Amino acid sequence: MFELLKKLCLADATSGDETAVRDIIISEIDGFCDWKIDNCGNILVEKKGKKRSVKRLMLDAHTDEVGLIISGVTAEGCLKFKTVGGIDTAVMAGRRVRINGKLPGVIGIKPIHLLKGDDAKKLPKEDALYIDIGAADKDDALKYVSLGDRAVILGEWIENEEKILSKALDDRVGCAVLIKLLREASEYDFCASFSWGEEVGLRGAKTAAFALNPQSAIVLEGTTAADIASVSGAERVCELSKGVVVSFMDRSTVYDREYYNRALSSGLLCQTKTAVSGGNDSGAIHLCREGVRTIALSAPCRYIHSASSVVDKRDITAMYDMAKYMINGICSGEIK
Amino acid sequence: MTELKSILFELSAADGAAYVNNAAKTAERMLGAFADVERNGNTVIGKMVGESDYTIMLDAHIDEVSFVVTDVDDEGFITVQKAGGVDLRILPAQIVTVQGKEDIPAVFCSTPPHLSSGDTEYNDISKIKLDTMLGEKSKDIVSLGDVVTWRNKPIELVSNRVTGKAFDDRAAVACLLFLAKRLSGKKLPMNVVFAFSDQEELGMRGARTASYTVTPDEAIALDVSFATAPDVSATEGGELSKGAMIGISPILDKFLTEKLIAVAKENNIPFQSEVMGGNTGTNADVISVNKSGVKTGLISIPLRNMHTPVEVIDLDDMVSVCDILEKYILSGGGMDV
Repeated sequence: MFELLKKLCLADATSGDETAVRDIIISEIDGFCDWKIDNCGNILVEKKGKKRSVKRLMLDAHTDEVGLIISGVTAEGCLKFKTVGGIDTAVMAGRRVRINGKLPGVIGIKPIHLLKGDDAKKLPKEDALYIDIGAADKDDALKYVSLGDRAVILGEWIENEEKILSKALDDRVGCAVLIKLLREASEYDFCASFSWGEEVGLRGAKTAAFALNPQSAIVLEGTTAADIASVSGAERVCELSKGVVVSFMDRSTVYDREYYNRALSSGLLCQTKTAVSGGNDSGAIHLCREGVRTIALSAPCRYIHSASSVVDKRDITAMYDMAKYMINGICSGEIK
Repeated sequence: MTELKSILFELSAADGAAYVNNAAKTAERMLGAFADVERNGNTVIGKMVGESDYTIMLDAHIDEVSFVVTDVDDEGFITVQKAGGVDLRILPAQIVTVQGKEDIPAVFCSTPPHLSSGDTEYNDISKIKLDTMLGEKSKDIVSLGDVVTWRNKPIELVSNRVTGKAFDDRAAVACLLFLAKRLSGKKLPMNVVFAFSDQEELGMRGARTASYTVTPDEAIALDVSFATAPDVSATEGGELSKGAMIGISPILDKFLTEKLIAVAKENNIPFQSEVMGGNTGTNADVISVNKSGVKTGLISIPLRNMHTPVEVIDLDDMVSVCDILEKYILSGGGMDV
């Protein structure tokens, strides 16, 4: 699963431009389930199990990642951009980027030597940042890029025995787990969506849930872990290596209480969030039509939305185990 | 050009901080093909013998901005201090290499939005911890005093420009290695000594001992300088792709500087003037006051994003530097000024 996760993370798919990741997913799931691409770019899936489910259950993982969209070119040949999804300025300046999946560039910053007083301690505003592809001037730059082109901030793929560092772990971890579930034999029927555009307002999940018309949903995600030095107690929100995160409430959803209780008491490696923070596709799915009973299973992720997000492999395995447990429980009717 | 680029890329990719300076080892090996080389710590000095007793020293620094480990806590998070003028604002979520018992990757912690005020001040590096992703096991690998360096390998951009770490001042070292090759086998009017000096970023320390050791009659320091960008104005820097920046300053030798400019003009080599009011912030500041004084010049390569892992330069500007120095030396350097 981690080899697959690497392949998914290294592909570039900012919101609204998810083709690269969608192609990988389709090549992985084709032959294991029925799938189609809908009007807007979701992959909608029907997975046939050995038995019929008592409830129509939808699984969801989003295919997009945060990134940049080129919005202008300066006289010097540098590219102005806007962020696609939420990215902190602090994790943009002084980084390498990749435009259109191939063209390298960097996000420059005025040398610290030339700054005085408070200016040296504060980051430039996002609209002051620019990408430098090496172009000599505006005309030169326009040979290589067009307005609306996409860029991602690059990190590296670094893996040790326990942890993985990469860009786009939010939400390629969810995609990798969902692919694994679809490639395996399932006890019960379920449907699924690899949804586009989560980072720009849960757009794909909204229409996917309408089309699939589920009664229950399991959302697979990455969520902010603040278990870093100088942060303690509840402010950590959740911690790496402590298992999949099951939350009772975040900023977009009050989760189904029964599903929450059953997940937490499953005996599987899991934890809850110690803050009402963040949000995910649940926000759109649980309000679809008459409403959908929803649970989110998230991998705790340090430095989320940066190009150097860090997850623990055990938490991803725990996400898979919990998803399987909840699918079987909900579909059999054992979890009421 | 391809050769100059490959020299630069090999030097840039090597770690060049305190203790084990792989960049110094690489430069020593490369220079050894053309000059008699000696090492003093991480400073590399190589001599090409000429036809007179007059000696010119060409200096470029081999070290890079880095960090040093000052604490490893119970969970394995590392505190570092700066070893050189690093910009704290670009650290969160930046990936680096910790040179512990083995080299390990690590990432600077980035505070999640729910805990940051939105108007964070980056003024205390001890608050930005390093995460090795090894938890408490990092204690077995990392010790106090270990060095931490940028990690990314250089790559090509468009229009003959390239990006990477430590182009400050490996771009200048690469120019000198390229020059050494060009001068090799030629009749030199003077002794040419190359000094790749250590610890410039900590206060021009290597250049002090190097110039003491060499005791040259004249010296040219090679460094990088600020290039204009959307956030760097023409009053703050030179321009990329407009050629070598010849330094003009009260602390530099006036006549020697004039000759450098004359050589560039006579040979139609692209150059731009960089005027400073006093100290230059380069090794020229200390070399010029070595022993009883050394007439000193300064040539810089324009560079964007100085001291970050994404420094940008134009390879053509490096060629201009080599061209000026070659013509300058073969025409007798400062012997006649």
